[in-house]
Amino acid sequence: MTETLNPSLNQAASEPASKELPGLPPGAEAVIALRGVAKWYGDVVAVSDLTFGIGAGVTALLGPNGAGKSTVLNLVSGLIRPSSGTVQVLNRAVPGDTTVYRDLGLAGEQEQLYGSLTGREFVHLNAILQKIPQPDVATERTIALVDMTGDANRQVGGYSKGMRQRIKVAAALVHDPRVLLLDEPLNGTDPVQRASLIALIRRLGDEGKTVVVSSHVLSEVERFARNVLVIVNGKLAAAGDFRTIRERMDERDHIIRIRCDDPRRLAAALVVDPVTTSIRMEDGRLIAETNDVRQFGRLVPQVARREGIRLFEMQPVDESLASVFSYLVGS
Amino acid sequence: MATLWRLLPVTTLTVRQFSGGRTARLALVLSLIPALFAAIYAARPWEVTPDEFLIGLFRELIVPTLLPIVVLLPATAAFGNELEDGTLPYLLMKPVSRLRLVLGKYAAVLLVTVPALLAGLIVTALVASRGMDVGDLGRILVAMAAASVAAAALLGALFLLVSLVIPRALLAGIIYIFAWESLLGRFLPGVRAISSREYALKVFDGILGDDLSTAWNAALTMLVVAGVCLLLAVWRLRSLQVD
Repeated sequence: MTETLNPSLNQAASEPASKELPGLPPGAEAVIALRGVAKWYGDVVAVSDLTFGIGAGVTALLGPNGAGKSTVLNLVSGLIRPSSGTVQVLNRAVPGDTTVYRDLGLAGEQEQLYGSLTGREFVHLNAILQKIPQPDVATERTIALVDMTGDANRQVGGYSKGMRQRIKVAAALVHDPRVLLLDEPLNGTDPVQRASLIALIRRLGDEGKTVVVSSHVLSEVERFARNVLVIVNGKLAAAGDFRTIRERMDERDHIIRIRCDDPRRLAAALVVDPVTTSIRMEDGRLIAETNDVRQFGRLVPQVARREGIRLFEMQPVDESLASVFSYLVGS
Repeated sequence: MATLWRLLPVTTLTVRQFSGGRTARLALVLSLIPALFAAIYAARPWEVTPDEFLIGLFRELIVPTLLPIVVLLPATAAFGNELEDGTLPYLLMKPVSRLRLVLGKYAAVLLVTVPALLAGLIVTALVASRGMDVGDLGRILVAMAAASVAAAALLGALFLLVSLVIPRALLAGIIYIFAWESLLGRFLPGVRAISSREYALKVFDGILGDDLSTAWNAALTMLVVAGVCLLLAVWRLRSLQVD
């Protein structure tokens, strides 16, 4: 698995062959390939310099809100055209070739569905438009896949957000596409629905389908994808194996807030250890910076026990998505 | 119904959306407004004969104003609503040609507007026709129906195209109807020559005056322009970007 951090490493000088695209495991074929893609609206740049490949299996498109994830999915699905660069799905150019939609499904971010249709009619309509041989059978199969059989005869206008998400996934899956794009599919779902959708996503990946799932929740992504593409400010910030990227993120300096009954003594004991980069007091709490968060996590309780200090709380203060993403783009 | 879904999914979907919302009902209510005038006339007839009343109503109210509005509502909603609420990708991301999508939507517009217009014309004619010769009434009705269908075909295609090109298509359509068709088309010969009103009235007058070639030529012109509008709509849909 190749991991890439920072966009400068991802930019291809010329059009790379499919196997050389960032984000692809060694030897894997790109099912989706973006080369030098940029999209702007007037003066506003939505995404730029995007060059990456996505192979079979589940790939998470990770990034904070507004980073450009939906733009990427819209580019891949051919709903918008790149201002520059090329987008290919299964070696076919999008947009342009409508036959690609036989192999491509999208559950987009839009909330609205055809409110006057029932869930079953909505999925069935998608099956008919896909011109599959047995639309009735496919409809029932996919409705069952997303656990919506019991509510399939209700009008989608009355569905909860979680139910809409699931019926959208069913509609995107009804023609059994080789490539499935899911834009924040877990938004609005309850824990049971979430677990069920995650299991479905993993199963589809295991079956060899190419599933791209966008998300802005790091902990969520861990549960279904090994391969991630991190988009920040419209650029590719990192691509590759999720755990390796996570480990690299762990190697940066972390800031930890510590609450205890004797902060001054604890600070004096910690500052002599080389893993403590700096330490200061703030509102009666210690703010420590460390270059090895795992080691520091072991050190603090040991020191506290040795010095007879009561430890109340240890909390990372820079673990927000924004700080992680900022780290990834090196800003 | 299941067969309709299979054969004409886009049309069936669009008609369902029109029926589920206010569009179809509004088209029918607007189509019946002339019947209200006919009822007033029937209750207290003024100094015109029923056939003069019907012809006047058709020429001055239905063709320049009411008919375009009845067509405008579903024609701009057919794609416009889906563009607005973000559901259009469900149609665009299918292995369906853009021509089929446009024709499916266009058929839905005609399926909603033409029956509503015809119903309005029939009710209006029946209400206003007290003492009228059945043959004369039939002839006026046929002329009105033919002109209305031709005008609906033209305006349906035109407004469908406009909805794919202009974000506020409904507003643009209303301005067009009142400024171009109803006002300027009435007084300026140059504008009149390129208004749907002029051609619809040629069809109407041609059938009433037994000048079928004039009626046919006018109807044909309208259908050709409608065809051009539909082709432009297909071209526009191919290049349309949906966020």
